Amino acid sequence: MSVTYIDAIHQAMAELLEEDERVFLYGEDIAGSFGGAFKATKGLADRFPGRVLNAPIAEDAIMGTAIGAAIGGMKPIVEMQFADFGILALNQMCNNAAAHYFRTGMPLNITLRMPCGGTPGGGPYHSQMVEALFAHFPGVHVFTPATVADAYYMLKQAVQIPDPVVFLEHKYLYRWLKADTWVDADPLPIGRARIVRPGRHATVVTYSAMVPETLKAAEELSATSGYHIEVVDLRTVKPIDTDTILASVARTGRLLVVSEDFPWGGVAAEVVARVASEGLHLLDAPPLRLSSRDCPIPYHPDLWKAHRPHSEDIAAAVRYLITL
Amino acid sequence: MKEAGIRAYRAMEMARAFDTKLSALYKAGKMYGGVFLGRGHEAIAACEAVFLTKGVDVYNPFIREQAGRCAWGYSVLESARSYLGSAEGCMRGRDGNIHWGVPADGNPAPISHLGAMVSVVAGMLLAKRMQGIQGAVGVLNLGDGTTSVGATHEGCNMVAVEKLPVVIVVTNNQFAYSTPNEREFACASLADRGRGYGFTTHECDGTNFMQTLATMQKAVAAARAGQGPQWVVAETLRMCGHGEHDDASYIPAELKAAFADRDPLAVARRQVQEQGWLTAEDVAAVQTECVDEVQRCMAQAQKEPTPVPAETDWSAVSWKPSRY
Amino acid sequence: MPSVPILMPQLGESIAEASIMLLLVKPGDTVQEDQEVFEVETNKAVMAVTVSCGGVVKSISVCEGETVPVGAVMGIIEATQEEVERTGATTMDAAAVAAATAPAVPTGPVAMDGAHFRTEGEYREGSATAPMETGGRGLPVPARIRGAHYLSPRVKARMDELSITEADLAYVIGTGANGRITIEDFENFISYVDGWPSRPASPMRRSVAGSMQRTWRRPIASAGRPIYMAPIILHRRNHPRKPGVTLYFLRALALALAEAPECAGYMVGGRILTPRNIDLGVAVQVADGVMVPVMRRVNEYTLDELVDEYNKVVKQARDRKLDPAYVGGGIATVSNFGGFGLTFASPMPLPSESLILGVGAVRKTPVWSDEVECFIPVEQAEIVASFDHRVVDGGDIGRLMQRVAWFLEHPELL
Repeated sequence: MSVTYIDAIHQAMAELLEEDERVFLYGEDIAGSFGGAFKATKGLADRFPGRVLNAPIAEDAIMGTAIGAAIGGMKPIVEMQFADFGILALNQMCNNAAAHYFRTGMPLNITLRMPCGGTPGGGPYHSQMVEALFAHFPGVHVFTPATVADAYYMLKQAVQIPDPVVFLEHKYLYRWLKADTWVDADPLPIGRARIVRPGRHATVVTYSAMVPETLKAAEELSATSGYHIEVVDLRTVKPIDTDTILASVARTGRLLVVSEDFPWGGVAAEVVARVASEGLHLLDAPPLRLSSRDCPIPYHPDLWKAHRPHSEDIAAAVRYLITL
Repeated sequence: MKEAGIRAYRAMEMARAFDTKLSALYKAGKMYGGVFLGRGHEAIAACEAVFLTKGVDVYNPFIREQAGRCAWGYSVLESARSYLGSAEGCMRGRDGNIHWGVPADGNPAPISHLGAMVSVVAGMLLAKRMQGIQGAVGVLNLGDGTTSVGATHEGCNMVAVEKLPVVIVVTNNQFAYSTPNEREFACASLADRGRGYGFTTHECDGTNFMQTLATMQKAVAAARAGQGPQWVVAETLRMCGHGEHDDASYIPAELKAAFADRDPLAVARRQVQEQGWLTAEDVAAVQTECVDEVQRCMAQAQKEPTPVPAETDWSAVSWKPSRY
Repeated sequence: MPSVPILMPQLGESIAEASIMLLLVKPGDTVQEDQEVFEVETNKAVMAVTVSCGGVVKSISVCEGETVPVGAVMGIIEATQEEVERTGATTMDAAAVAAATAPAVPTGPVAMDGAHFRTEGEYREGSATAPMETGGRGLPVPARIRGAHYLSPRVKARMDELSITEADLAYVIGTGANGRITIEDFENFISYVDGWPSRPASPMRRSVAGSMQRTWRRPIASAGRPIYMAPIILHRRNHPRKPGVTLYFLRALALALAEAPECAGYMVGGRILTPRNIDLGVAVQVADGVMVPVMRRVNEYTLDELVDEYNKVVKQARDRKLDPAYVGGGIATVSNFGGFGLTFASPMPLPSESLILGVGAVRKTPVWSDEVECFIPVEQAEIVASFDHRVVDGGDIGRLMQRVAWFLEHPELL
C-alpha cells in the first residue's frame, strides 16, 4: 500500500474541511463529480456540501473573492488550475491580500494552491514555476513541498498560519512521488529546511521537484566519483532558512543551488546572495546556480528535458563546482 | 424616507465642508500625496450608503464617496487622519488619502487597482452566506472608467453567478481622469453592461437628490429582499479635477454650463425644504455645524502624533517562524 | 506670536517645483484661514496656494517668476495662539524663522555621481565557457573563471584566524584547478604542520618577519664594491678610545648622504620624500632578532664626539632597553655583517627606509700593483648598498659608494 503526493494533498484538505468549518475550497472545476483538473478535490464536494465551490474562469475574481471571504472570517483554500494561470491572480494576491495585514492590521487566512512545474508535453503555459514571482512581494509565505509527508503536513500548516500562503504543488510529483504513508513521526516546523542527505564535498540547496532529481544525482556522484554531496531541501522558499543553508556550507565549503524556475532574480539567486553576504568566509569556490534556461518552456519532451535541470546536469554541475 | 433623507443631506453637507477644507489644506502644502474630491458625487454617495448599517452590511466606497462614508457612520475625523497620516487613524499612516477602511466593520480598505474590490465585496457576502448570516447587502462603487477594467468584468460576473445581494453603483461622471466617455466605452448605456451580467438595472440623475434617494432605496431593498444583484447607473459631472493637482481644463465649457445649476448639494438643500423636511434655518444650521465639525476634526488630526519609523514593526506578515 | 509657514504644496505626484505667477498678498496684509495668497504654475496646471491659518503676513521670501521647490517655505504668517490652536496649523521655531527669512545663498550644482550604483553589462548566461571578445586595447581576455589563481574567501578567513601569510603557503602544492590551494589543501597542510616539532616564534622574531615581509614588496636592488680598510685599522689602532668599526661607516655614509640626500629618498605614490636630517640606524644583532637604534644628525658631529653615544646605543640595543629617543625616524641603516665573518651579504632596508649599507669582513686580498709589478696583500672589505630601485639607480649608488670609500680612506676627516 503506497500513497502519492496528491493523495497527501487530498487527505490534508479533507481533514481541514472536517476540522474547521471556516475552511472552504474554491476554484475552477474542483466541485461536482469532476474533482479538479488533477483530481485533488475528487469526492470532497459530496462529503462537504456547499464547501467545495466551482468558480467561473476568472483568476483575478477567484482571488478577490477569497480575500473578501477571509475578511469575512473564512479560511478559503483556492485552487488555481495551473500556476501559470495563477499569474492572472498576481494583482489580487500581491497588491491586495499581501498588503492587507500591513495596511489594516488584519491578516488574511488564504491558502493559494497552485499546481506548478513541468511535465512532458506541458509546454509554455502549463509548466512554469512561480515561487520567485509571488515571494517577491512582502506579505506572503511561499511553500514548495518536495515529499509526500511535507505535502500533507505543510498544507495543514498553511491553513493554520493566519497569513496568505502560496502553496506550490509540483505536478510531476503528483503521481510519480510515492511513499508508504504521509505520516511523519516528527514533522519539521514551517520555516526550517531539511538536510535530506548529509555530505561533505558540496552543498546542493534545492526545493520542490528538484529535490528528487538532486538525490538521484547524489547517488550517481557517490557511486561513480566518490563525491558525497549534502542535499538541503528548502521546503519553504519564504520564509527561507538561511541558518541551515549556512551551516551546511560551513561543512562543505561549496554551494550549488538548483531550481526549476527561470534564472533571473529567482530563489537560487536569493540563496547565493545570502550565502555571499553572510557566509563568504565559508566558501572555498564561487557559489553556483543551476536553473532552467532563460527561455520559455518548450513543448516537445526532448526540448523540455534540455530546458530544465535534471539529475545528469546536477551531477555535472557538482563535478564542475568541485574542480573550481 | 424622511429620516434617511435628512441623514443623507447632512452627510452631503459634511462631505462638501470636508472637501472644501481638504482643498485648502492641500494648497497650503499640508498634504503628503494627492487629494481627491467628490464634488458632484455627493447625492449618489450619500443616498447609496444611507440605507446600510455599519457592522451588518458591506460598503465599499472609493475615490469620491466621502458623503457615503459620512452616511455609513464614519466621522470625518477618520478621513482627516487618513489624509494626514495620523498614527491614531485606522491605517496608521501606512496607507492614506481615500485608501482607508475598517474591514471588521464591513468596510474594506480599497486598493488603487480599479475593479479589484468587486470580487472582494463578493467574497465578503459569500462568507456571510456560508456562515448563515441573512439580510446583509453590499454596496460598491464603480466609475465609468472602472467599467473598462478586466477585474471589473470578472468580479461582476462572479457576483451575478453567485446571485449575491450586491448593489453596484456605476457613477458616470463623464470623465475617467481626463478621458471622456466616448474613448472609454462604446455601448449605448452603462446599464447595458449590468443587464449583460444578469443584474437588475436602475438609472437615475445623480444630481437630483430626491430621485437618487428613491432609486437607491429601491435597489438596496431589492438586494436585501433576495432579488439578486442590482446595478444602478447614476449620471453626474465631476465638478472638480481628478485630484486637486488637476485643473480639469479638458472639461468643455458647454458641459460645465449644462451642469451649472445642477450641483447636487444645492439641489438637495432646495429639495429637503420643498419636501418640508427642513426649514431654511435648519439648512443653515446644518451647514454651520458641518463646517465647525470639519474644522475641529482637521485641527485634531493635525495635532495627533505621526507614525514613528523606529517604532514600526515593519512586518508584512502576522506569523513568523520561531528561531531554533 | 507664533509663526506659521506658507509652504509650496505638493501639486501633483510627479511635481518637484512650481513657478510663482502672482503674489495676491504683501507683508503686513491680514489674511484669513484658507485664503488664497499666491498663484503658482506647475507643468500641469495653474493652482492657488492657501494659508492654513489666519493672521498677518510677516514676510514673503519669493518673487513672481521664481521657481520654488515643493515643501519650501515661501513666507510667514504671524498668528495668534488661539488661531493656531483652532486650525491645528504647524508653527515654526525661531531658528526656522531666521533661516526662512535669511537671504538665499546661491549653491553650486550638487554632484550626483555615486548616488546610485551603476549596473552595467548585459545578461550573459553561459559566458563562463564562451570566449569573450578582446578588449578595446587588443588585450587578451581570460575566457573563463575556471582555474583562476585565487585564494578562496574561506582559505583567506582561515589564514587570518591562524595568522598565516601567503608566503607561508609557498610550501603547499594546490590540487585545485591550475594549482589553486583549496580549503582541503590548506587544512591538510595545517595537519601536516601540526605533526612537526615546533616552537612559537618570539614576538621579536615575528616583528622582524613582518618587517622583512613588508620591505620585500618593493623592488630592492643591491650593489657593492671593495674598500681599503688599512686607513681605518691604522686610525683606530692609534685612537685612544678605539671607536667601533661600524661608527666609521656611519660617519662616512652620513657625510656622503649629506652631499647626496636624494639617495635616501623614500617613495610614496607619486612623491619622493627627502631626508630632513641625516639620522642613521645601526643594525644590532640581539637574541632572536635585530634592533636598529637611530643616531641623530650623524653628519653634524665628529667621530670623536659620537663615540660615547654610539657605545651607549649599542649597549642599550643589546640589552633591549632602547631609549625612545633612538627609536625610528632613520633614513638609512648600516649593517656590519662582517662582524659575523661574512664577506658578502644582501642586506634588506627597513620598510620605513630605502637604503641600507652592509659591511663585510676584512680580508687580506692580493691586489696587483703596477708600481712593483706584483700582487701585494691589501686589507679589503666589501661594502654593499641595498636600495629601492624605484628611487635611485646604480649610477647614483655607485657615486654615493665612491664618496663613502673616499671618506673611509681619510678617517682623519671623519
